[in-house]
Amino acid sequence: MPSKAQPVLAFVFAVLLAAALGSIVQTQYNLAMLQALGAPLSAEVRLRATGLDLLGFAPLFAVLVAAGFLCALPSAAWLSRRLLPLRWPLFALAGALAIWLAMSLANALLPMPTLIGANRSLIGTLGLMACGSLGALLFARLSRPLCRP
Amino acid sequence: MSKPFLIPLLLSLLGSPVAQAMDYRIETLSEGLEFPWSLAFLPDGRMLVTERVGRLRLIEADGRLDPEPVSGVPEAFVAAQAGLMEVALDPEFARNQWVYLSYAHGSEQANNTRLARGRLVEGELQDVKVLFTAQPLKTGAAHYGGRIAFLPDQTLVLTLGDGFDWREDAQNPGNHLGKIVRLNRDGSVPADNPLRDQAGAAPEIYSLGHRNVQGIFYDAEAGRLYSHEHGPRGGDELNLIEAGRNYGWPLVTQGVDYTGALISPYTTLPGLQPPLLHWTPSVAPSSLTQYRGALFPQWQGDLFAATLAERSVRRIRLLDGKLAGEDVLFEELGERIRDVRSGPDGALYLLTDNAKGRVLKVVPAD
Repeated sequence: MPSKAQPVLAFVFAVLLAAALGSIVQTQYNLAMLQALGAPLSAEVRLRATGLDLLGFAPLFAVLVAAGFLCALPSAAWLSRRLLPLRWPLFALAGALAIWLAMSLANALLPMPTLIGANRSLIGTLGLMACGSLGALLFARLSRPLCRP
Repeated sequence: MSKPFLIPLLLSLLGSPVAQAMDYRIETLSEGLEFPWSLAFLPDGRMLVTERVGRLRLIEADGRLDPEPVSGVPEAFVAAQAGLMEVALDPEFARNQWVYLSYAHGSEQANNTRLARGRLVEGELQDVKVLFTAQPLKTGAAHYGGRIAFLPDQTLVLTLGDGFDWREDAQNPGNHLGKIVRLNRDGSVPADNPLRDQAGAAPEIYSLGHRNVQGIFYDAEAGRLYSHEHGPRGGDELNLIEAGRNYGWPLVTQGVDYTGALISPYTTLPGLQPPLLHWTPSVAPSSLTQYRGALFPQWQGDLFAATLAERSVRRIRLLDGKLAGEDVLFEELGERIRDVRSGPDGALYLLTDNAKGRVLKVVPAD
Protein backbone atom coordinates (compact mmCIF):
# COMPACT_ATOMS: atom_id res chain seq x y z
CA MET A 1 0.00 0.00 0.00
CA PRO A 2 1.57 3.38 -0.97
CA SER A 3 2.32 5.39 2.14
CA LYS A 4 0.24 8.46 1.21
CA ALA A 5 -2.80 6.47 0.23
CA GLN A 6 -2.60 4.19 3.24
CA PRO A 7 -4.34 6.39 5.83
CA VAL A 8 -6.95 7.49 3.29
CA LEU A 9 -7.78 3.92 2.37
CA ALA A 10 -7.74 2.94 6.03
CA PHE A 11 -10.19 5.74 6.75
CA VAL A 12 -12.50 4.71 3.91
CA PHE A 13 -12.50 1.06 5.00
CA ALA A 14 -13.09 2.10 8.61
CA VAL A 15 -16.09 4.24 7.64
CA LEU A 16 -17.51 1.50 5.43
CA LEU A 17 -17.19 -1.10 8.16
CA ALA A 18 -18.71 1.09 10.87
CA ALA A 19 -21.56 2.19 8.58
CA ALA A 20 -22.38 -1.36 7.48
CA LEU A 21 -22.27 -2.73 11.01
CA GLY A 22 -24.27 0.26 12.29
CA SER A 23 -26.90 -0.37 9.64
CA ILE A 24 -27.18 -4.00 10.72
CA VAL A 25 -27.53 -2.94 14.37
CA GLN A 26 -30.22 -0.39 13.41
CA THR A 27 -32.18 -3.01 11.50
CA GLN A 28 -32.02 -5.63 14.25
CA TYR A 29 -32.96 -3.06 16.90
CA ASN A 30 -35.94 -1.91 14.84
CA LEU A 31 -37.07 -5.45 14.09
CA ALA A 32 -36.81 -6.38 17.76
CA MET A 33 -39.15 -3.49 18.61
CA LEU A 34 -41.63 -4.65 15.96
CA GLN A 35 -41.36 -8.24 17.14
CA ALA A 36 -42.20 -7.09 20.64
CA LEU A 37 -45.38 -5.60 19.17
CA GLY A 38 -46.27 -8.97 17.67
CA ALA A 39 -45.00 -8.60 14.12
CA PRO A 40 -44.12 -11.94 12.49
CA LEU A 41 -40.46 -11.96 11.46
CA SER A 42 -39.14 -14.87 9.44
CA ALA A 43 -35.46 -15.22 8.59
CA GLU A 44 -36.28 -14.17 5.04
CA VAL A 45 -38.03 -10.98 6.18
CA ARG A 46 -35.15 -10.20 8.53
CA LEU A 47 -32.57 -10.73 5.79
CA ARG A 48 -34.47 -8.62 3.31
CA ALA A 49 -34.93 -5.81 5.83
CA THR A 50 -31.22 -5.90 6.64
CA GLY A 51 -30.38 -5.68 2.95
CA LEU A 52 -32.78 -2.80 2.36
CA ASP A 53 -31.27 -0.85 5.23
CA LEU A 54 -27.75 -1.45 3.91
CA LEU A 55 -28.94 0.20 0.71
CA GLY A 56 -31.23 2.84 2.23
CA PHE A 57 -29.80 3.72 5.64
CA ALA A 58 -26.09 2.87 5.55
CA PRO A 59 -25.15 5.68 3.09
CA LEU A 60 -26.54 8.39 5.38
CA PHE A 61 -25.04 6.74 8.44
CA ALA A 62 -21.70 6.62 6.61
CA VAL A 63 -21.80 10.41 6.29
CA LEU A 64 -22.28 10.73 10.06
CA VAL A 65 -19.54 8.17 10.71
CA ALA A 66 -17.15 9.96 8.36
CA ALA A 67 -17.81 13.31 10.04
CA GLY A 68 -17.22 11.79 13.46
CA PHE A 69 -14.13 9.85 12.41
CA LEU A 70 -12.59 12.93 10.79
CA CYS A 71 -12.35 14.45 14.24
CA ALA A 72 -11.83 11.35 16.33
CA LEU A 73 -9.31 9.21 14.42
CA PRO A 74 -6.55 11.81 13.97
CA SER A 75 -6.95 12.67 17.65
CA ALA A 76 -6.67 9.00 18.59
CA ALA A 77 -3.61 8.59 16.35
CA TRP A 78 -1.93 11.62 17.93
CA LEU A 79 -2.66 10.40 21.45
CA SER A 80 -1.62 6.83 20.72
CA ARG A 81 1.84 8.01 19.64
CA ARG A 82 2.27 9.36 23.14
CA LEU A 83 0.49 6.53 24.94
CA LEU A 84 1.54 3.56 22.87
CA PRO A 85 0.38 0.85 25.32
CA LEU A 86 -3.13 2.35 25.16
CA ARG A 87 -3.26 2.43 21.37
CA TRP A 88 -6.13 -0.07 20.93
CA PRO A 89 -8.33 1.19 23.79
CA LEU A 90 -7.76 4.76 22.60
CA PHE A 91 -8.98 3.97 19.08
CA ALA A 92 -11.91 1.93 20.38
CA LEU A 93 -12.95 4.80 22.63
CA ALA A 94 -12.44 7.38 19.90
CA GLY A 95 -14.62 5.41 17.47
CA ALA A 96 -17.42 5.07 19.99
CA LEU A 97 -17.27 8.74 20.97
CA ALA A 98 -17.21 9.77 17.31
CA ILE A 99 -20.55 8.03 16.71
CA TRP A 100 -22.06 9.42 19.89
CA LEU A 101 -20.91 12.95 19.05
CA ALA A 102 -22.12 12.79 15.45
CA MET A 103 -25.56 11.53 16.50
CA SER A 104 -25.83 14.06 19.31
CA LEU A 105 -24.97 16.92 16.96
CA ALA A 106 -27.47 15.68 14.37
CA ASN A 107 -30.18 15.46 17.04
CA ALA A 108 -29.40 18.98 18.23
CA LEU A 109 -29.40 20.49 14.76
CA LEU A 110 -32.28 18.65 13.08
CA PRO A 111 -35.96 19.21 13.87
CA MET A 112 -36.75 15.67 15.01
CA PRO A 113 -35.86 14.72 18.60
CA THR A 114 -33.80 11.66 17.57
CA LEU A 115 -32.63 11.11 14.00
CA ILE A 116 -31.72 7.43 14.15
CA GLY A 117 -34.22 4.95 15.53
CA ALA A 118 -31.73 2.83 17.47
CA ASN A 119 -30.36 6.00 19.10
CA ARG A 120 -33.64 6.30 21.04
CA SER A 121 -32.54 3.76 23.63
CA LEU A 122 -29.36 3.17 25.63
CA ILE A 123 -28.85 -0.32 24.25
CA GLY A 124 -29.31 0.86 20.67
CA THR A 125 -26.97 3.78 21.20
CA LEU A 126 -24.32 1.53 22.74
CA GLY A 127 -24.70 -0.86 19.81
CA LEU A 128 -24.09 1.91 17.29
CA MET A 129 -21.13 3.19 19.33
CA ALA A 130 -19.66 -0.32 19.35
CA CYS A 131 -19.77 -0.28 15.55
CA GLY A 132 -17.81 2.97 15.68
CA SER A 133 -15.24 1.25 17.90
CA LEU A 134 -14.83 -1.61 15.42
CA GLY A 135 -14.42 0.83 12.53
CA ALA A 136 -11.81 2.78 14.46
CA LEU A 137 -9.94 -0.40 15.39
CA LEU A 138 -9.84 -1.35 11.72
CA PHE A 139 -8.36 2.07 10.98
CA ALA A 140 -5.77 1.53 13.71
CA ARG A 141 -4.84 -1.83 12.27
CA LEU A 142 -4.61 -0.68 8.64
CA SER A 143 -2.77 2.55 9.36
CA ARG A 144 -0.45 1.11 11.97
CA PRO A 145 2.89 1.50 10.15
CA LEU A 146 2.34 5.22 9.71
CA CYS A 147 1.27 5.74 13.26
CA ARG A 148 4.38 4.29 14.84
CA PRO A 149 6.46 6.91 16.67
CA MET B 1 -50.63 11.58 -31.21
CA SER B 2 -47.40 13.15 -30.00
CA LYS B 3 -45.98 12.43 -26.56
CA PRO B 4 -46.68 15.88 -25.03
CA PHE B 5 -50.41 15.31 -25.59
CA LEU B 6 -50.39 11.63 -24.84
CA ILE B 7 -48.87 11.87 -21.36
CA PRO B 8 -51.47 14.23 -19.80
CA LEU B 9 -54.23 12.19 -21.38
CA LEU B 10 -52.88 8.97 -19.90
CA LEU B 11 -52.47 10.60 -16.51
CA SER B 12 -56.05 11.81 -16.48
CA LEU B 13 -57.30 8.40 -17.55
CA LEU B 14 -55.39 6.81 -14.69
CA GLY B 15 -56.92 9.25 -12.23
CA SER B 16 -53.53 10.61 -11.19
CA PRO B 17 -53.45 13.87 -9.30
CA VAL B 18 -52.80 16.64 -11.78
CA ALA B 19 -53.02 20.36 -11.23
CA GLN B 20 -56.24 21.62 -12.74
CA ALA B 21 -56.85 25.05 -14.15
CA MET B 22 -59.85 26.11 -12.04
CA ASP B 23 -62.08 29.09 -12.38
CA TYR B 24 -61.19 30.58 -9.01
CA ARG B 25 -59.60 33.68 -7.54
CA ILE B 26 -57.53 33.76 -4.35
CA GLU B 27 -57.90 36.87 -2.19
CA THR B 28 -55.87 37.82 0.86
CA LEU B 29 -58.46 38.40 3.55
CA SER B 30 -56.10 39.06 6.44
CA GLU B 31 -52.37 39.07 7.07
CA GLY B 32 -49.79 39.67 9.78
CA LEU B 33 -50.42 36.40 11.60
CA GLU B 34 -47.50 34.51 13.13
CA PHE B 35 -47.73 30.86 12.09
CA PRO B 36 -51.55 30.71 12.01
CA TRP B 37 -52.72 27.16 12.74
CA SER B 38 -56.50 26.98 12.86
CA LEU B 39 -59.51 28.97 11.74
CA ALA B 40 -63.07 28.96 13.09
CA PHE B 41 -66.08 30.96 11.90
CA LEU B 42 -68.19 32.80 14.49
CA PRO B 43 -71.94 33.09 13.88
CA ASP B 44 -71.68 36.89 13.54
CA GLY B 45 -69.32 36.67 10.55
CA ARG B 46 -66.09 37.17 12.49
CA MET B 47 -63.38 34.54 12.65
CA LEU B 48 -61.09 33.15 15.31
CA VAL B 49 -57.54 32.22 14.35
CA THR B 50 -54.89 30.60 16.49
CA GLU B 51 -51.25 31.51 16.09
CA ARG B 52 -48.93 28.67 17.03
CA VAL B 53 -46.85 31.08 19.10
CA GLY B 54 -49.70 31.12 21.62
CA ARG B 55 -52.18 33.78 20.58
CA LEU B 56 -55.89 33.58 19.70
CA ARG B 57 -56.90 36.37 17.33
CA LEU B 58 -60.20 37.81 16.19
CA ILE B 59 -60.72 38.79 12.57
CA GLU B 60 -63.62 40.97 11.52
CA ALA B 61 -65.82 39.80 8.66
CA ASP B 62 -64.07 42.27 6.34
CA GLY B 63 -60.68 40.80 7.22
CA ARG B 64 -59.47 43.43 9.70
CA LEU B 65 -57.31 41.78 12.35
CA ASP B 66 -58.13 42.86 15.91
CA PRO B 67 -54.80 44.16 17.23
CA GLU B 68 -55.48 42.76 20.68
CA PRO B 69 -55.33 38.98 21.04
CA VAL B 70 -58.14 37.28 22.90
CA SER B 71 -57.26 37.32 26.59
CA GLY B 72 -57.54 34.41 28.99
CA VAL B 73 -56.01 31.88 26.59
CA PRO B 74 -54.08 29.17 28.47
CA GLU B 75 -50.32 29.38 28.14
CA ALA B 76 -48.92 26.96 25.59
CA PHE B 77 -45.49 25.35 25.44
CA VAL B 78 -44.08 26.90 22.27
CA ALA B 79 -41.13 25.27 20.49
CA ALA B 80 -40.59 23.62 17.09
CA GLN B 81 -43.99 21.97 16.34
CA ALA B 82 -45.37 22.78 19.80
CA GLY B 83 -47.70 25.66 20.59
CA LEU B 84 -51.30 26.72 20.37
CA MET B 85 -53.02 24.57 17.78
CA GLU B 86 -56.74 24.06 17.10
CA VAL B 87 -59.64 26.41 17.82
CA ALA B 88 -63.11 24.92 17.46
CA LEU B 89 -66.53 26.26 18.37
CA ASP B 90 -68.99 24.12 20.26
CA PRO B 91 -71.77 23.03 17.88
CA GLU B 92 -74.12 24.95 20.22
CA PHE B 93 -71.81 27.96 20.43
CA ALA B 94 -74.60 30.46 19.79
CA ARG B 95 -76.19 29.27 23.04
CA ASN B 96 -73.19 28.45 25.23
CA GLN B 97 -70.18 30.40 23.76
CA TRP B 98 -67.82 27.48 24.41
CA VAL B 99 -64.56 27.59 22.46
CA TYR B 100 -62.24 24.57 22.47
CA LEU B 101 -58.49 24.93 22.18
CA SER B 102 -55.80 22.31 21.77
CA TYR B 103 -52.23 23.17 22.63
CA ALA B 104 -48.92 21.73 23.71
CA HIS B 105 -48.71 21.84 27.47
CA GLY B 106 -45.69 21.54 29.73
CA SER B 107 -41.99 22.09 29.18
CA GLU B 108 -39.21 20.88 26.89
CA GLN B 109 -38.62 17.98 29.27
CA ALA B 110 -42.24 17.01 29.93
CA ASN B 111 -45.04 17.94 27.54
CA ASN B 112 -47.95 16.63 25.53
CA THR B 113 -51.20 17.73 23.94
CA ARG B 114 -53.86 19.35 26.11
CA LEU B 115 -57.49 20.26 25.43
CA ALA B 116 -59.24 23.11 27.20
CA ARG B 117 -62.38 25.13 26.70
CA GLY B 118 -63.64 28.52 27.76
CA ARG B 119 -66.50 30.88 27.04
CA LEU B 120 -65.79 33.64 24.53
CA VAL B 121 -67.21 36.82 26.02
CA GLU B 122 -66.32 40.20 24.52
CA GLY B 123 -62.85 39.27 23.36
CA GLU B 124 -62.02 37.32 26.50
CA LEU B 125 -61.95 33.62 27.24
CA GLN B 126 -63.70 33.02 30.56
CA ASP B 127 -64.35 29.98 32.74
CA VAL B 128 -61.41 28.19 31.13
CA LYS B 129 -61.23 24.56 32.13
CA VAL B 130 -58.72 21.89 31.15
CA LEU B 131 -60.64 18.94 29.71
CA PHE B 132 -57.87 16.50 28.85
CA THR B 133 -54.09 16.14 28.90
CA ALA B 134 -52.52 13.38 26.84
CA GLN B 135 -50.32 11.02 28.86
CA PRO B 136 -47.50 10.39 29.33
CA LEU B 137 -45.70 13.71 29.23
CA LYS B 138 -42.58 13.30 27.11
CA THR B 139 -39.54 15.26 25.99
CA GLY B 140 -39.03 16.99 22.65
CA ALA B 141 -41.40 19.15 20.63
CA ALA B 142 -42.78 17.03 17.80
CA HIS B 143 -45.95 15.18 16.78
CA TYR B 144 -48.86 16.56 18.79
CA GLY B 145 -51.78 15.97 16.43
CA GLY B 146 -54.18 18.58 17.81
CA ARG B 147 -57.19 18.62 15.47
CA ILE B 148 -60.77 18.40 16.78
CA ALA B 149 -64.03 17.17 15.28
CA PHE B 150 -67.48 17.01 16.85
CA LEU B 151 -69.59 13.91 16.51
CA PRO B 152 -73.40 14.00 16.42
CA ASP B 153 -73.72 12.28 19.81
CA GLN B 154 -72.48 15.29 21.81
CA THR B 155 -68.93 13.94 21.93
CA LEU B 156 -65.75 15.20 20.31
CA VAL B 157 -62.64 13.52 18.96
CA LEU B 158 -59.15 14.93 19.44
CA THR B 159 -56.23 13.75 17.35
CA LEU B 160 -52.85 13.10 18.93
CA GLY B 161 -49.32 12.23 17.85
CA ASP B 162 -46.66 9.73 18.83
CA GLY B 163 -44.14 12.34 19.98
CA PHE B 164 -41.78 11.11 17.21
CA ASP B 165 -39.49 9.10 19.49
CA TRP B 166 -42.29 6.95 20.89
CA ARG B 167 -43.69 5.40 17.73
CA GLU B 168 -44.06 1.91 19.24
CA ASP B 169 -46.35 3.44 21.86
CA ALA B 170 -48.92 4.06 19.12
CA GLN B 171 -49.67 0.34 19.60
CA ASN B 172 -49.84 0.59 23.39
CA PRO B 173 -53.45 0.93 24.53
CA GLY B 174 -52.24 2.00 27.95
CA ASN B 175 -51.42 5.58 26.95
CA HIS B 176 -52.44 8.34 24.55
CA LEU B 177 -49.39 8.48 22.27
CA GLY B 178 -50.38 7.93 18.64
CA LYS B 179 -54.11 7.78 19.35
CA ILE B 180 -57.36 9.54 18.53
CA VAL B 181 -59.35 10.08 21.73
CA ARG B 182 -63.08 10.63 22.16
CA LEU B 183 -64.45 12.72 25.00
CA ASN B 184 -67.71 14.19 26.14
CA ARG B 185 -67.69 17.91 25.66
CA ASP B 186 -67.07 18.43 29.39
CA GLY B 187 -63.96 16.24 29.20
CA SER B 188 -65.49 13.14 30.76
CA VAL B 189 -65.15 9.75 29.08
CA PRO B 190 -68.15 8.53 27.08
CA ALA B 191 -69.67 5.33 28.43
CA ASP B 192 -69.43 3.59 25.06
CA ASN B 193 -65.78 4.31 24.23
CA PRO B 194 -64.37 1.15 22.63
CA LEU B 195 -61.58 0.37 25.14
CA ARG B 196 -63.33 1.68 28.24
CA ASP B 197 -63.84 -1.76 29.73
CA GLN B 198 -60.46 -3.17 28.68
CA ALA B 199 -58.16 -3.61 31.67
CA GLY B 200 -55.08 -1.40 31.45
CA ALA B 201 -56.32 0.60 28.47
CA ALA B 202 -56.70 4.36 28.45
CA PRO B 203 -60.49 4.79 28.38
CA GLU B 204 -60.36 7.89 26.19
CA ILE B 205 -58.96 5.96 23.19
CA TYR B 206 -61.16 5.90 20.10
CA SER B 207 -58.60 4.51 17.64
CA LEU B 208 -54.91 3.64 17.80
CA GLY B 209 -51.87 3.04 15.62
CA HIS B 210 -51.44 6.62 14.40
CA ARG B 211 -48.29 8.67 13.83
CA ASN B 212 -49.26 12.35 13.79
CA VAL B 213 -52.88 13.05 12.93
CA GLN B 214 -53.35 16.64 11.83
CA GLY B 215 -56.62 16.38 9.97
CA ILE B 216 -60.02 15.07 11.01
CA PHE B 217 -63.49 15.71 9.66
CA TYR B 218 -66.88 14.21 10.35
CA ASP B 219 -69.01 13.91 7.23
CA ALA B 220 -72.45 14.30 8.76
CA GLU B 221 -74.32 13.35 5.60
CA ALA B 222 -72.52 10.05 5.15
CA GLY B 223 -71.87 9.44 8.84
CA ARG B 224 -68.16 8.93 8.19
CA LEU B 225 -65.18 10.15 10.17
CA TYR B 226 -62.16 10.84 7.98
CA SER B 227 -58.67 11.65 9.17
CA HIS B 228 -55.25 12.02 7.66
CA GLU B 229 -51.86 11.68 9.25
CA HIS B 230 -48.26 12.44 8.50
CA GLY B 231 -46.17 9.45 7.50
CA PRO B 232 -42.39 9.53 7.85
CA ARG B 233 -40.70 9.75 4.40
CA GLY B 234 -43.70 8.66 2.38
CA GLY B 235 -46.73 6.92 3.78
CA ASP B 236 -48.95 9.91 4.59
CA GLU B 237 -52.42 8.42 4.99
CA LEU B 238 -56.08 9.23 4.58
CA ASN B 239 -58.09 6.97 6.88
CA LEU B 240 -61.70 6.19 7.57
CA ILE B 241 -61.82 6.15 11.36
CA GLU B 242 -63.95 3.59 13.14
CA ALA B 243 -64.21 3.03 16.88
CA GLY B 244 -61.62 0.68 18.34
CA ARG B 245 -59.74 0.11 15.10
CA ASN B 246 -55.97 -0.12 14.87
CA TYR B 247 -54.46 1.83 11.97
CA GLY B 248 -51.14 0.08 12.17
CA TRP B 249 -48.37 2.57 12.83
CA PRO B 250 -45.52 1.57 13.07
CA LEU B 251 -46.20 -2.10 12.27
CA VAL B 252 -47.34 -1.22 8.77
CA THR B 253 -46.48 1.81 6.69
CA GLN B 254 -45.73 2.80 3.13
CA GLY B 255 -42.99 5.16 4.32
CA VAL B 256 -39.41 4.83 5.51
CA ASP B 257 -37.62 6.82 8.18
CA TYR B 258 -36.06 10.21 7.33
CA THR B 259 -32.68 8.47 7.42
CA GLY B 260 -33.82 5.97 4.80
CA ALA B 261 -34.04 3.23 7.44
CA LEU B 262 -36.91 0.82 7.30
CA ILE B 263 -39.76 1.51 9.72
CA SER B 264 -41.40 -1.83 9.03
CA PRO B 265 -41.02 -4.57 6.43
CA TYR B 266 -44.82 -4.64 6.16
CA THR B 267 -47.33 -2.45 4.39
CA THR B 268 -50.26 -4.60 5.48
CA LEU B 269 -50.87 -7.07 8.29
CA PRO B 270 -54.03 -8.88 9.38
CA GLY B 271 -56.12 -6.91 11.86
CA LEU B 272 -54.64 -3.55 10.93
CA GLN B 273 -56.75 -1.06 8.99
CA PRO B 274 -55.28 -0.06 5.63
CA PRO B 275 -55.56 3.59 4.59
CA LEU B 276 -58.11 4.74 2.03
CA LEU B 277 -55.13 6.20 0.21
CA HIS B 278 -51.53 7.01 0.92
CA TRP B 279 -49.32 9.78 -0.34
CA THR B 280 -45.83 8.62 -1.24
CA PRO B 281 -43.73 10.73 -1.53
CA SER B 282 -45.10 12.69 1.40
CA VAL B 283 -47.25 15.77 0.93
CA ALA B 284 -47.40 16.45 4.71
CA PRO B 285 -51.19 16.80 5.19
CA SER B 286 -51.98 19.41 7.82
CA SER B 287 -55.75 19.90 7.80
CA LEU B 288 -58.86 18.22 6.44
CA THR B 289 -62.28 19.54 5.56
CA GLN B 290 -65.21 18.80 3.32
CA TYR B 291 -66.60 21.35 0.93
CA ARG B 292 -70.27 22.05 1.60
CA GLY B 293 -70.76 25.40 -0.08
CA ALA B 294 -72.69 26.81 -2.99
CA LEU B 295 -69.94 28.79 -4.75
CA PHE B 296 -68.20 25.76 -6.24
CA PRO B 297 -70.87 23.19 -7.15
CA GLN B 298 -68.26 20.91 -8.71
CA TRP B 299 -66.51 20.61 -5.32
CA GLN B 300 -69.66 19.66 -3.42
CA GLY B 301 -68.98 16.91 -0.89
CA ASP B 302 -65.29 16.54 -1.80
CA LEU B 303 -62.57 16.38 0.83
CA PHE B 304 -59.84 19.00 0.89
CA ALA B 305 -56.49 18.33 2.54
CA ALA B 306 -54.03 21.17 3.10
CA THR B 307 -50.39 20.22 2.68
CA LEU B 308 -47.14 21.63 4.01
CA ALA B 309 -44.47 19.84 1.99
CA GLU B 310 -46.31 19.88 -1.32
CA ARG B 311 -47.46 23.49 -0.69
CA SER B 312 -50.89 22.79 -2.04
CA VAL B 313 -54.39 21.68 -1.22
CA ARG B 314 -55.39 18.23 -2.33
CA ARG B 315 -58.97 17.93 -3.52
CA ILE B 316 -60.04 14.34 -2.93
CA ARG B 317 -63.04 13.65 -5.06
CA LEU B 318 -65.73 11.45 -3.55
CA LEU B 319 -68.33 9.65 -5.60
CA ASP B 320 -71.01 7.77 -3.67
CA GLY B 321 -68.67 7.71 -0.68
CA LYS B 322 -65.79 6.24 -2.65
CA LEU B 323 -62.58 7.94 -3.67
CA ALA B 324 -62.73 9.09 -7.28
CA GLY B 325 -59.37 10.75 -7.82
CA GLU B 326 -57.41 13.77 -6.69
CA ASP B 327 -56.55 17.24 -7.90
CA VAL B 328 -53.65 19.35 -6.69
CA LEU B 329 -54.82 22.92 -6.11
CA PHE B 330 -53.24 26.27 -5.25
CA GLU B 331 -49.66 25.21 -5.96
CA GLU B 332 -49.24 28.58 -7.64
CA LEU B 333 -49.11 30.14 -4.16
CA GLY B 334 -45.90 28.28 -3.40
CA GLU B 335 -46.74 28.41 0.30
CA ARG B 336 -47.12 25.85 3.04
CA ILE B 337 -50.83 25.59 3.80
CA ARG B 338 -51.62 24.92 7.46
CA ASP B 339 -55.42 24.95 7.43
CA VAL B 340 -58.26 24.64 4.95
CA ARG B 341 -61.89 25.38 5.82
CA SER B 342 -65.16 25.43 3.99
CA GLY B 343 -66.61 28.81 4.97
CA PRO B 344 -70.26 29.53 5.72
CA ASP B 345 -70.33 31.87 2.70
CA GLY B 346 -69.32 29.07 0.33
CA ALA B 347 -65.73 30.24 -0.07
CA LEU B 348 -62.77 28.05 0.76
CA TYR B 349 -60.44 29.53 3.37
CA LEU B 350 -56.73 28.81 3.73
CA LEU B 351 -54.09 29.66 6.31
CA THR B 352 -50.50 29.97 5.14
CA ASP B 353 -47.82 28.60 7.45
CA ASN B 354 -45.10 31.15 8.04
CA ALA B 355 -44.09 34.02 10.30
CA LYS B 356 -46.12 36.41 8.13
CA GLY B 357 -49.07 34.12 7.71
CA ARG B 358 -52.21 35.05 5.84
CA VAL B 359 -55.87 34.14 5.68
CA LEU B 360 -56.73 33.47 2.07
CA LYS B 361 -60.19 33.27 0.59
CA VAL B 362 -60.86 31.24 -2.54
CA VAL B 363 -63.87 32.45 -4.52
CA PRO B 364 -65.11 31.92 -8.08
CA ALA B 365 -63.17 33.99 -10.61
CA ASP B 366 -66.23 35.87 -11.77
